[in-house]
Amino acid sequence: MSNEAEKPNFITTSLDFLVNWGRTNSLWPFPYGTACCAIEFMSTEVGRYDLSRIGSEYVRFTPRQSDVLLVAGTISYKQAPILKRMYEQMAEPRWVIAMGACASSGGFYDCYCTVPGIDHIIPVDVYIGGCPSRPEAFFEAMFDLQKKIKDESYMKQRAERVKDQLEMIKAKTEQAKAEAREFAREKTAELKEFVTEKEQELVKKAQFWKE
Amino acid sequence: MESVIDILESKFGAKRDASAKWDACVVVPKEYLHNAVEFLKNDPSMQFDMLLDLAGIDYLTYPNHEGPRFAVSYAFKSMKNPGRRVRLKVLVSEADLKVPTLTDLYASANWLEREVYDQFGIVFEGHPDLRRILNHVEFVGHPLRKDYPAQKRQWLSTTDFLIPELEKRLEDKGYKVIQRSKEIMPVEEEYLEGSIRE
Repeated sequence: MSNEAEKPNFITTSLDFLVNWGRTNSLWPFPYGTACCAIEFMSTEVGRYDLSRIGSEYVRFTPRQSDVLLVAGTISYKQAPILKRMYEQMAEPRWVIAMGACASSGGFYDCYCTVPGIDHIIPVDVYIGGCPSRPEAFFEAMFDLQKKIKDESYMKQRAERVKDQLEMIKAKTEQAKAEAREFAREKTAELKEFVTEKEQELVKKAQFWKE
Repeated sequence: MESVIDILESKFGAKRDASAKWDACVVVPKEYLHNAVEFLKNDPSMQFDMLLDLAGIDYLTYPNHEGPRFAVSYAFKSMKNPGRRVRLKVLVSEADLKVPTLTDLYASANWLEREVYDQFGIVFEGHPDLRRILNHVEFVGHPLRKDYPAQKRQWLSTTDFLIPELEKRLEDKGYKVIQRSKEIMPVEEEYLEGSIRE
């Protein structure tokens, strides 16, 4: 089944086209703003630049309802586990934009407390330069991300995921079987010991009564 | 201003810091620090009722420096006599990293002393809650010491668990905690499923 789905045909490609069209035109960002880049993002979102023109209408302040994790600002080592947890809470499909110099490379904070780029923690799709980066740069990053999403194939990803899941299920069942076998072996050994003990007792009793 | 320094010199055995050119700085012996600060705060002729800042100093690579390696510098300001400021300095040797706390006199000293403890490793005796404040709990060493390599980075594995502290603070305000929360460590396998760490 998985081999057939990997080959593109009319149905899968048109389904891919539809899914990608839907995804590109409703990218809901989740802003993880820790510094001045977040202020630039605010000005991108409101009237003058208006990010909702390209479909990023709602800024969702929960990772469970959003598609794009927008890391805008410096990430310190104390914050790194929080950011990672946020990324793990997001549902598939998910993309990450590193906005500004600090999120992309640590910026000028070359010291003991700053993470040198968030790609040490989570995978990043688009990087934006600037300190802070301008709204125009942010728009270009969104267009790049849209181009990237249009090249993705939903059916292919799904087939790969199903394959992975099947492999995982097989491995888990094998593990469970091995555990059950071991358990049964232990139990039979115990029972054998029990029976031999009982036999010895009976033999002893019989000898006693004989005497 | 000179009178403050003279009084401190005569009463507490302090010495004027010759290296400070722009402000009144006095080096006080460690054993008289608490008494001197109490005098500065409560005496009607002084009334230094504000602790502006508290900073640690490491003289390891300082040119032409003699004496103990560390110092703690306290900056005081008077709100009742405008324009009055004075700076006290305590010298701390590396063998004996202990300084009496000022939290009983100034509430602002609490977090400032925690910061100096975090960055320099100087221990403030009698502090109610001496923990790290800026660096994370798994950090090893004190980063603002001159012998700490400035670009040495240390990873934190999980987030800090701060709920007991929050509950304690709420209880101090008069709230009642019905249920205590426990830290739940994620099961490694479940946590890693679908993660990039694999």
